[in-house]
Formats: sequence, structure tokens, C-alpha cells
Amino acid sequence: MRTRLSPEDVIRIVDKFDGNQGALISVLEAIQAEYNYLPREALKIVASRTGRSLVDIYGITTFYSGFSLEPRGKHIVSVCTGTACHVRRSVEVLEGFERHLSVKAGETTHDREFSLSTVNCLGACALGPVVVVDGEYHRRVREGDVANVCEHARQLENCVELTNDERIFAVQVSCPHCNRSLMTDGRLLDGYPMVRVTASFRRKHGWLMLSSLYGDYRIESEYEIPPGTVVQLFCPSCHAELKSTRICASCDAPMISLLVKGGGTVQFCSRRGCKEHMLDLVNEDATAV
Amino acid sequence: MPRLRSIKELQGLQRRIRSRLDQRETLITVCAGTACQACGANDVQRVIKRRLIERDLVDRIRLRITGCHGFCEMGPFVMTEPQSAFYPKIDTRDVPRIIDALLADEYVEDLLYRDPTTDAACYRRDDIPFFAKQHRTLLGKNQRLDPIRLFGYVAQGGYESLGRALTEYTPERIIDEIRRAGLRGRGGAGFPTAEKWEMARRQVGVEKYIVCNADEGDPGAYMDRSILEGNPHSVIEGMAIGGLAIGATSGFVFVRQEYPLAVKHLLIALRLAREYGLLGTNILGTGFDFDIDIVKSAGAFVCGEETALIRCIEGTVGEPRQKPPFPTERGISGRPTCINNVETWANIPEIIAVGAEEFARIGTPTSGGTKVFSVVGKIRNTGLVEVSIGTSIKEVVYEIGGGPLDGSKIKAVQIGGPSGGCIPHGEFDLPLSYDSLEKAGAMMGSGGMIVMDDDTCMVDVAKYFMSFLKQESCGKCFTCRKGTQRLWEILDDITRGRGRLEQLDLLEELGGTVADSSMCGLGRSAANPVLSTLRYFRDEYERHIVDKRCDAYVCKELTGAACQAACPVGTEAWRYAALIARGEYEEAYRVIRERNPFPSVCARVCDHKCEQQCLLGTTGQQPVALRALKRFVTDRVDPSVYEPQRHSEPGAADRRVAVVGAGPAGLTAAHGLSLKGYRTTVFEAESRPGGMLISGIPAYRLPRRVLQKEIDALIDENVTLRCGTGLGRDFTIDSLLEGGYEAVFLALGAHSSRRMGIDGEDMAGVYPSIEFLKAWNLRDESLASGKVGVIGGGNTAVDAARVAIRQTGVSEVTIFYRRTRQEMPAYEEEIEGALEEGVKLEQLVTPVGLFGKKRRLAEVQFVANELGEVDAGGRRRPVPKPGSEHRVPLDTLIVAIGEQAASVGPKAGAGIEMAGGAVVVDERTLTTKRPAVFAGGDLATGPNTVIAAIAAGWRAAEVIDRYLRGRDLYQPAEPRLPRAYVEPVAVEEEAQFPAPRAKAPTAPAAQRVHNFDEVEGTVTVEDAAREARRCLRCDLEFTERPQGADELRQAGGGSR
Repeated sequence: MRTRLSPEDVIRIVDKFDGNQGALISVLEAIQAEYNYLPREALKIVASRTGRSLVDIYGITTFYSGFSLEPRGKHIVSVCTGTACHVRRSVEVLEGFERHLSVKAGETTHDREFSLSTVNCLGACALGPVVVVDGEYHRRVREGDVANVCEHARQLENCVELTNDERIFAVQVSCPHCNRSLMTDGRLLDGYPMVRVTASFRRKHGWLMLSSLYGDYRIESEYEIPPGTVVQLFCPSCHAELKSTRICASCDAPMISLLVKGGGTVQFCSRRGCKEHMLDLVNEDATAV
Repeated sequence: MPRLRSIKELQGLQRRIRSRLDQRETLITVCAGTACQACGANDVQRVIKRRLIERDLVDRIRLRITGCHGFCEMGPFVMTEPQSAFYPKIDTRDVPRIIDALLADEYVEDLLYRDPTTDAACYRRDDIPFFAKQHRTLLGKNQRLDPIRLFGYVAQGGYESLGRALTEYTPERIIDEIRRAGLRGRGGAGFPTAEKWEMARRQVGVEKYIVCNADEGDPGAYMDRSILEGNPHSVIEGMAIGGLAIGATSGFVFVRQEYPLAVKHLLIALRLAREYGLLGTNILGTGFDFDIDIVKSAGAFVCGEETALIRCIEGTVGEPRQKPPFPTERGISGRPTCINNVETWANIPEIIAVGAEEFARIGTPTSGGTKVFSVVGKIRNTGLVEVSIGTSIKEVVYEIGGGPLDGSKIKAVQIGGPSGGCIPHGEFDLPLSYDSLEKAGAMMGSGGMIVMDDDTCMVDVAKYFMSFLKQESCGKCFTCRKGTQRLWEILDDITRGRGRLEQLDLLEELGGTVADSSMCGLGRSAANPVLSTLRYFRDEYERHIVDKRCDAYVCKELTGAACQAACPVGTEAWRYAALIARGEYEEAYRVIRERNPFPSVCARVCDHKCEQQCLLGTTGQQPVALRALKRFVTDRVDPSVYEPQRHSEPGAADRRVAVVGAGPAGLTAAHGLSLKGYRTTVFEAESRPGGMLISGIPAYRLPRRVLQKEIDALIDENVTLRCGTGLGRDFTIDSLLEGGYEAVFLALGAHSSRRMGIDGEDMAGVYPSIEFLKAWNLRDESLASGKVGVIGGGNTAVDAARVAIRQTGVSEVTIFYRRTRQEMPAYEEEIEGALEEGVKLEQLVTPVGLFGKKRRLAEVQFVANELGEVDAGGRRRPVPKPGSEHRVPLDTLIVAIGEQAASVGPKAGAGIEMAGGAVVVDERTLTTKRPAVFAGGDLATGPNTVIAAIAAGWRAAEVIDRYLRGRDLYQPAEPRLPRAYVEPVAVEEEAQFPAPRAKAPTAPAAQRVHNFDEVEGTVTVEDAAREARRCLRCDLEFTERPQGADELRQAGGGSR
């Protein structure tokens, strides 16, 4: 998420959609994904780039509830006010948040910590009343839970979830081409050996080590990799590229694929900062081709 | 690239996949739809993967991660094959056991789904009623495939239909097939799909578009998301076939941005389809080109309307436009566009695969196939339910949905979202089809089905939808823009107690105007929620307007503190709790006594509606033990601290009123009239006053000295009590009115037991419950002996059983009830108490024959029942099982299957109308058909609670006073909101959270069963203080702290 507007980035986003008239809403969505809201300057750039009037664009941004012209808070709290949640009294939950955060629905707290909004059904009716905070679902929320929910969001901030819990485990991986192990001998992270590969990006070429804990995004590398960079990874033994045939569903970058000891593959996005990943136990080659 | 160049290659791929899959039967399936993910399915699959890797099981057990199966209530859940086991609501810790059982081809017994009524484990998934009663043509596929891969879909025969359509069918034949299948649009209006396609096909010489409308905006409906998430290829295949039929080469999926997982799965599916040559140019080598783009909706409900949707895809403000021209003529960029909903598209491959005839075999003659409903709200099994069109609402709600949440009663369902309407419980036999729903004032819509129960206010629901619609109205049509706003304002007025009856007509008129003069579907159907609730629930609107009451306790301005609103006499329960927390017990007593002349009685036997509505209880904790707090205060404060306020009208002392019946209603009325200065005579047929309090309620629940003391306190200089004089026996209504009484209040109660209607009911040893209880309570006469049976499940039955077990000469007591314990109307604590004392309970039996020896009862023949269909009251009806007759030896049988009022017939005086075992009165004024004669309490309502009788007594006093003064009998109501301010005490952190509810001590069962001493005791001072502090103080939202309170507190005046 960016805070400072960069005109080049906005132009890049607009141009990605190729001046396609119908893509205006997608352009605005992409800009909002980048900045968390639609900065005025960005809209001016969109207007000049697409030839649409600023009034038109303003009309669109205010018509659709998904757009925000104001910066939003660090944490987005969405209270579901769908019918199923309503009959389970989500109104009281919403009022609870309004009181606790001292804002009304649709507003952001002064310290820009929380934005409170409502949503007309998330389709998680079995869990109602539902509140989604930063993408995390809270089910059967009661008015009395409000403070805890907010506190929980604050605590999760910048904190890597590395506890002793059973969901966290290390995988041992090898190169899918030469089958040689990619695990280091000496370099440990949290007591587990790291995964070592060779990385190449923007004419830089050096070593890269990844945490072997599944779902942990920490890396160490010879060269600092700027966020958003797509990196090519190679096997240090056979030098083959570790690319899979898949493309990241979130950001379109190629996915990296490594063999897992015990079976299956682990796949992760080659773009720095993208968290798309999968531990895939299905050997598709065996079934499909 | 694995591109498929011909149908043959597709078939080859399918063969290869199937041959490999067959070898690997051992399978664990995890549902990872949005709802399951939200409750931990991701953790579950993660732990499964870990286990499989670490145990080297990857090659032995196949893991399948699927989209939504629809049983969202049970998430996260997993299934194993070949056992077909279904493990609901599991935890990551359960995973190792499930995997071990799978390897051993066994079940984990304690994790299996259990039937909520029988508690029997369901071994196979298809045994679970939720799945067994559905017809899962579409949803059934979700559980069999992994949506981010292609092979699962191909293995199920995926893309075969496209292949066949490409090679064997002409466009005309495809459309004809769809027509004969009877497919109608699943998005709401139910337009015949084939007709739409035909219109689009006829446009020639231009580029055309196919659109999948996945802007599922109806709150409470999520079946489209579930299909996109769980089976995106079915939608892609359907669209491609549609493209072929109408001659389009490109399509769009217009999808809600709130559905990130659906977008992701669709994106992956589109990529895969292109890679395999199932989309793009030269599909399957046939020369047909077709591709699909995703357009995300930015959040506007109106964009579900097709012309608005087109404008949104064009990148402008999504306002609808006039039709015609229809989108099939002029759609996106002016080109013919065929728009169908997700579910419709997903049905297309199915029709081609099975053939039109087979498809149309299911459903109704005018509309073939199944429909997916999302059954949500106040229902046990929230989830997606797919049934054949024409299935009854009752079947969906009760058989599949599992009926109401514990302890509530279903009132209505709202079908079709904001454009739909409410269907009341009485109409649940209605088949779910396009035509029948429309006739009933609702619509199929996208299939959202929101179940509502007693705790749902229908006016609030109408207001909710109107609030939604006024926000989502695009504003183009004036009547929609302003009309929805104005409709909402009127509804808002009504929910705030500012409504007027004539506004109901205005709502209807305005609703009609908005419908008639708006351009698009949103406006045309906007009034439906209001009109349908008005049609079926007009009485609820009138309750809000006339009585200023919201019986669901939802509308805040009419409810205030729910404990107070729920009390028939309006006791300020919050207030006495707050005073107890402060240690101000005397003031607490005054608060209780002011509204209730029987505080000690009610502290023992009240059904405490206050507790049922306590916010603490309705939000997940245990309600404040208000009755125990009342008992605490009445036990320790001398009643003399309360001095009733008397304000007699001039001349009142010369006017006489007759009250017939010295029960709680009669005595309260006499007391109320006395406070206003009238002279009252209370006539009582029995030898002692108290009515049902003394003749019905046993002494172990209500000690006689407590009752006597409170009755005595009410007999003041204005009240004369004449026991042993009965209406119709010693006097008549005419004799009272002729004898100088200016008004008569009839409060005789309901003392006549209903009869079973079996031969031999008059035999010795068989007693109506009231006769049995009166004999003991009034005359110390014990009628029961030996083995005693009690028929019934209400409070009277339990009272009779507990009295009998205390009587000498009784060896055992059994209650025989025709339904199950869950359905027993008696108070739970009373049933519990009886069982503790050794009373047995036989469920699901009905007596059918009585057999005597020497004209005295010896045996009773029973027939066993099973629970059948749901009756009008929302409970499952007991159905006798043929051949299950059996005899039980019994010496005494007490029949407690309900009471009714004894007839107030001509013998008592003319002009009193009776119906259904009660006297007919006007509810608000208690007037009977005869002038000067009023009636209330059980006599007018049928058997009811003590507190309801007291409320009737107060009302009678009020109304008779108005009558005697020649005023309008009807008094406009005011909402009963908290007024007095009570400074809250500082609540320190409790050691235990949530703080447990205080429990009054009870005498040990072994001891109490030998006597009639009071069973329940009083809570301690510490417990009372702690309990009172649990109160959430709903009242503070309505009261204001008086100025100067701070100084008072500092001076120590306000605190303990």
C-alpha cells in the first residue's frame, strides 16, 4: 500500500487498461487498491489520460459505494448489515463500533487507525452477525465483543504469526529438475534450515534464502529486492529456472514451484510482497497429462 | 501447452483422468467456500497437509479442496471416502483421528453429525436430512471437484456438452433444447431463457455479447458466489454454449467486488480453459471463437438490473434506461447482448448433458429444474439448499433447514430479497415456484430466503429493506427516489411510536405509486416488502401504532429496557436491580410493589418474561436472575415501607363495583378500584380467596402464609370479600346490576379441565387435574394412590405430578406426554425439579383406552407416537405408530391436557358471549357484549400467567373508573420507557467472565419429596449484589443524569 502519490504509477495503471473506455471502473479500482482511496490528483491524471471529464469521473466515484475519496484507516472494519445479519441484530453491533470508535459508519477515526463501514451481505450468513476486519472474519459478533475485535486488529499489525501452533510447520524442498535438496546446512531461522536458491532481477544476480516455515514470508538475500519486483529463481545445483506453469491469481507474475519432501509441491509468487502461495499435494501431471 | 484440438482429444483426456482417479479411492474432502474459510477451514486443510506430508501419506490419501457444499452452519467440515463420512464443525486437533480412521476404513464416532432430535449419529453423509431431502443437481457437483483445477470438472463430464453442442447441434437446436427443458431465468424475474436467446439470435450482422450477471446484490443470497467459487467451469461452459447459440464471440462475467474468492477462482478457470483450448480461438478445433472477460462491480445494487449493468460495463454511472429496446437488441455499446444469471448459465451444460426431457422431469410444468435457495436468518441449518422447483416452503424450512433455533417460533420467511416479500408461517404449504410466489406477493428473486421468528419485528424488516432501497435507488426516477425515502420515513415514524393508523393506507397508496411509475425492477418492486408485511402482518403495524408496543423488542423507542417492556404490568426490573446493586433495598421494594400488588407471589411463581428478554440473555450470556432478585428484596423488606397513593374521585365512595372471582385478576382490580375510592365487593365461589394461586399452585412453590399475607394487605376498608358465593349458584349478573352494583368485573379464571374424550373418563381413579389439585390445596384431601399417571406436558401436569409424589400412599408417579420433553410447555425448572424428585417421564405416548376393575381404574392403554409434520403452532405433530399399543397398570390417572373457562352461561346472566373456552372481550377495554360488564384474566384469555392476570386487573380498574366517570373507555397508549435515573455503581472487574448467573438454593430432592415446604430459597446478600451488577443497564440510554448529581455523590448522598 502506498501513501505518496506517484504520477508515473497512476499513468502506468491507466495505460495498462489500454485506454479502453469500459475499463474506467477497473482503472479506478486498481488505483484504489494501490492507495487505499482515490486521491484527487490521481483522478485528474485519469481524466487527462482517458479524455473523460473530471465531472464524469467524480460522478462514477460517488455512484459506486466501493470507492472512497477520503483516505481510509489502517484497519478497515466492515459490519455486515445483510438481512440475515440484520435479523440477528447486527444494528446493535454496528452501534457498538460507532460508540467504541467514536465515528459513524462510513467515517475514519481521527488518528487514521480505523475506518468503519457497512456492507450489504458477505454471504457468510451462517456466521451472522459477521464483522470483517482487514479481511479476517469475526463470527457471531455481539455488542460486547467490539473492543476485543478492534484490539485484535491492532495486535496483528506487523506481527508475523509464528507461534508454537500446529499450523506452522517446516517443509523440506528440492529442485523439481535435478531433485537435489535446496535446504541449507548451516543457516537456521527459528531453528529450521533455510531454503537457498539463486535469484536474478534487474540485472542483479545473487543468493536468496527463504524461510522453510510454510506461510512465512521472511527472506534474506544478497541484494535488497524492492517491493513489487518480479524475481527469477534458479536451482543452485543445476541452474534450471524454478518456474511453474502457473500464473499468480493475484498479480499475474509467474509462480515458483519446488518439490516437497513427502510429496507434492510448494508454489509461491515470484513477486516480492505478493503473498499468493499454495502447498499443492495434487500431482497434476499424474492425473491430467 | 496441453491444448485440446478436437472433441476426441477432450474425450481422451477425460478417459485418462478417470482411469487414474479410479485407482485412488481414499479421499479426504475439505469444504473451503468463503463461509467455511471464515470459520477455520484453511487451518484445517493446512493441518491435513502437514499430517499427510509428515506421515508420508501423500500417495495414499488424496486431498480434495472444494468450493461451497452449502451446509454452512456446520463449517468447517471434512468428508472422507469411501466411508462417505461427514465430520461437521471440526477442530484442527481432530485431524489426526480423522486421518487414522480413514486409513483404517473406519468412522470417528464422536465427530459424526448427530440428528438434533434423536441424537443418532449419521454415518453416511446422505443420511443427514439436510442433504437427503435436497435435489442437488448443481451444488452436488461442488463437492466432487477442486475449482482451481480443470481435471475434476472434466472427470465429471465437463465440457462434453460444449463439445456436443459444437459438433452435433445447430444453434436452433440448442435453443429448442433449452426451451423444452423449461428453463427460466434464475436471477429473479424468471423470464424464459430460450426466448431471450432466440431474440438475441435473430439479430444478424453485428457483434453480440454474452453476459453472466454475478452482481449478486440481494442481501442474504449467496448461491451465485458459491457456484462461481466452487464450479467456475460450469458457468464458462454454459456461456460458451450460449455464445454458440446466439452467435456471440465474447462474453463478460459481471461480478461483485465483495467476492474476492469467486473472482480468483474464475480467473484461474478462465486461464485454464484458454490453455486447454476450451476458450479463445478455434475451440476444440471446430473453428468456433469465444472468450470471456471479468468485470468487477464497484458496488451498486441497481447494477444487477440489466440495463444498468450494461452501463456499468461500459464504464459509466450505472443508471437503468427504458426498455424496449431490450438488451438482446441494443446492449453493450449498442450491440445485442444476452444477459443471464450465474445459476442459469450453470444449468445450461446440465440440460445439454442429460437432455431436455430428463431435465424437465424435475420441477413444475411451467418451469423445469431445480433452484438454489439460501436459507438464512433464524434457522437451525443456515446454508444453501437446492430443491426441485415447486417444493413447499415448509419442507425447505423444517425438513432441510431443521426448523427454528432453540426455543423460538418461526413467524415468516422473506423470499426474494429487497424486491421480494414476506410469506407468513400459515402459508408455508406454498410451493416455491415463480408463479405461486408472485401470487402470494413475494417473488423468487435470486432465491434468498430469510427466516424470521418471534424476535423479528416485521415493521423493522420492512424499514430495513426500505432503508436499503432508498440508499440503492439510483435516483433517475423521481417516484423511486422520493417514494422510497418517504416510505422509509413513514416506517421510521411507526417504529419510533409516532405512527398514525391512516399512515397504513398511505403506505399502500404510495407503494402502489412507486411500483407503477418507476422504470426499472428496483423501483417497480420496491414496495413489495412493505405491501407484503402489511398484507400478512397488519396487526403488528397496529400494535406499534395503537399500543406503542413492539412485541419482538426490536424497535428501541417502543421498547426502552426490554425487561420493563416485557412485563405485562411494566415493572421497572432494571430499576430494582440497580437499586439492589446500590444496597437500597427499601426503595427497590417500592419500585416492585408500585406496579404489582403480589410482589412475594410473583417473586416465586412468575414466568419472568423480563428474564426472557434480558439483553444479557439475548446477547449470548445468561440473563440477570431478576426473579431471584425480586425474591431477595421481598424476603427482607417489610411491606409497610410502601404506602400506596390514593386519589379518589369525588363521589366515588358512593359507587359500588362487583368483582367476581378472588384470584389475582379480581383482587388486583378490587385493589385498583379501592385506590380510586370505589367500594368493591369480591365474590368468591370457593371457601378461600386466591383463585388459581391457591387452588392450582402447590404450597411447595408458593407457601400459604406468603400468599395469605399479600391477599390480606389488599382487603382494605373499600373492599369486601365474600367467599363461598358462586356466580350462577348464589347470584347472577342481573342480580348484581339490579342490586346496586354499577359495574361488574368477571374474573372467574379457567378452572375447567379439558377432557380426553375416551370411554371411562368418569371412572373412579381418573381425575381432571384441577379437581385433583383443588382437593389437596383447598381441602387437604389426597385423591392419588398407588401407581399414578399424569397426562399432559404443561405446568398443571407437572404441578399435579409433584403434588402426587408428595402424597402418602403413592408409590410412583409418571408423566405421559405425547411429544418430547423439548416440546413440553411447562417451565424447564419445574420439569427439572419433578425429575429430581423421582417423577418419571414417558415421551411420545398418547392414552387411547381406560380399563377398570370393579369400576375403578386398573390399566391405561397407550399408543406410541413419532413426530411428524409441523403443525400451525410450529411444533412437530405427534403421529401414532400403528401396532404400538401397550397397556400400563395405573391406579390413578390425572388428566392435565389443558384448562378452559367454565361456561358463563344463561344461568349466570344473559348477554355474555363465549368462544373457544373463553369469554369474548375487547382486548383493549375488556368490555364484554353486555354493557357495564367487563371480563379479564384467564376467563378472557384462556389459561395464562399470574402476571397477565394482574395486568388484566389493573386494566379493569382503569377502564371501570373511566366507565363510571362517563369517559371514553379507550386510553391511548404510551411506550413504557425508563424515566427515573439511578446512578450506576462502579463495576469492578469480576474475577470470572462472563460472570455466572446467581442461583437460589433449593432443598435437597430426597428431603423435599416428603413435605410441602418451600423448595426454593433466597440468594445471599453478596450474590444479590453481584447479580444486580451484571445488569447491562439498558435504561441509561433513556434517562438523564439530573444536574447536581455529581455534588450529591461527592457528599456521599448518592452512594452506598
